[in-house]
Amino acid sequence: MLRPAILALLFASTLTSVIIAAAALFGAHLLRRWDLRSGGEGQLRLERRTYLVSTAVGLALAVQAVSLLLFVYNADRMAELFVGAMCAVGTLNVNAYGFPALQVRIALFFLAAVWLVMNHVDSRGYDYPLTRAKYALLLGLAPLALLQLYLEWRYFLGLNPDVITSCCGSLFSAEAEAVTADLAAIEPRLAMGLFALSGVAVIAAALFNRRADGRHGLLLGGLGAIWFVVTLVAVIAFVSPYVYEHPHHHCPFCLLKPEYGYVGYLLYLPLFSATVMALGVAAVRPFAAVPSVSGVIARLSRRLSTAAAVLNAGVVLIVGIIVATSNLMLLE
Amino acid sequence: MIELIDVKKAFNHHRPNEHWAVNGVSLTLEGNRLTVFQGPSGSGKTTLLTLIGCLARPTSGRVRLDGKDVSGFPERFLTEIRRGTFGFVFQQYHLLRGISVLENVMLPGYPAAPRYGTLRRRALELLERFELAHKAHAKVEWLSGGESQRVAIARALINDPAVVIADEPTAHLDTALAKGFLTIAEELRAQGKTLMISSHDPLVCEAPIVDRLVRLRDGRLAESA
Repeated sequence: MLRPAILALLFASTLTSVIIAAAALFGAHLLRRWDLRSGGEGQLRLERRTYLVSTAVGLALAVQAVSLLLFVYNADRMAELFVGAMCAVGTLNVNAYGFPALQVRIALFFLAAVWLVMNHVDSRGYDYPLTRAKYALLLGLAPLALLQLYLEWRYFLGLNPDVITSCCGSLFSAEAEAVTADLAAIEPRLAMGLFALSGVAVIAAALFNRRADGRHGLLLGGLGAIWFVVTLVAVIAFVSPYVYEHPHHHCPFCLLKPEYGYVGYLLYLPLFSATVMALGVAAVRPFAAVPSVSGVIARLSRRLSTAAAVLNAGVVLIVGIIVATSNLMLLE
Repeated sequence: MIELIDVKKAFNHHRPNEHWAVNGVSLTLEGNRLTVFQGPSGSGKTTLLTLIGCLARPTSGRVRLDGKDVSGFPERFLTEIRRGTFGFVFQQYHLLRGISVLENVMLPGYPAAPRYGTLRRRALELLERFELAHKAHAKVEWLSGGESQRVAIARALINDPAVVIADEPTAHLDTALAKGFLTIAEELRAQGKTLMISSHDPLVCEAPIVDRLVRLRDGRLAESA
């Protein structure tokens, strides 16, 4: 509990959740009272405050997004403290709050990143084009932030070194009684085919969207989300066994360990970043017709689509290298 | 065109010493005109000019510049508007001591990042126009009142603004220098600039070049001539 990383995570979560909750209250007030046609005192006060609140929320969500990395890294590093834990899976399994905390964190990461993209566009329009939308999203995001805060406190306060936890082998094996077992049991050939197909589709959609100045942002967002899920399935189904050179070791968390060259970070960082970009492009697409930000959205869509294409190509390349250089033969 | 719609500005709002400097002014100001805001001290002239020039935001009401509601603009856009649309001549001139006349004039041009040579040439042309070329490298603290004011005008024009706002420009000038200022104002209007001047100097208010006189009292319009 007194590890610096845990204290940093709890401090960051508490601080950012307080900021987000306060901003959500402001957002609820704004959604009720916002009227750009009015020159009333209340409206002008809202316009002045939204700038300050957006800046604070932007900072809080950026901290939230970055701290996901610290959360995962810390979970992996703490494995040595618990009997039975080999990687982050064992640490997160110490009590019932570990995995829910991670799942909520991941959901919050994507929502936060989308909010930051929307805020970026909104701040570049003189007439507050996305203000209502971004505060509506914040209202959805705030309960998640509070839930994450609750789960994380319960998780860290409930860490008991005397608990014998279960290692990743019991969760990510074809024999386990969980959805992960189904994923681990997927035929490698099928998983590879799906991975290659969705990889080509998402890269093509990103390049297509870049050429079209973001007009196909929703398509890219949809394919980006599918690609994210397919890649995680692929990691469990065939990438992990290739990395570990063991046909029954499917853990997606052991990839983060130094003995495997931290290859997980090489995979997950571009994957998460590219998914954020695809979702961000989709989130701002409905506002592309607003004159004050149409140019901003077109430019941003081009940049994010290019980055998403490059990062996703990087993911495909890394997986390709892993498969090509592994001594394991999953396909006959 | 600048449009003010029921503009109010309070200082120390919701405090015991609350003061409404501008209290419900609605006004339409045409372009390429010389408008003088006349009124006694404390009538709200300077506050109104700061609201028009986007130096301050109203407590309520709207300020529209060419149809766009600038009173609601986020700060980053207001900076652009202040830089590109308005030139300011302050009552105390606010020239920066310790640097030369030329550097003072060039200063507001730097954020737009033009080529240094272009900016310097533009500044020298303005100093030439106001017969101050020979003082270009003098420090501003060596200037007389009239010279300081002309440097302030040159500085206000460095970004070629559409609107020049001057706050009590003749307050510290003798009659000859005040007439000199009016001559410059007439030239600027002839070049298509919009001028907005606050003054209670009869020499300015009654000058034939004034297109419109807006009288203020206690933060409200007294009458518009």
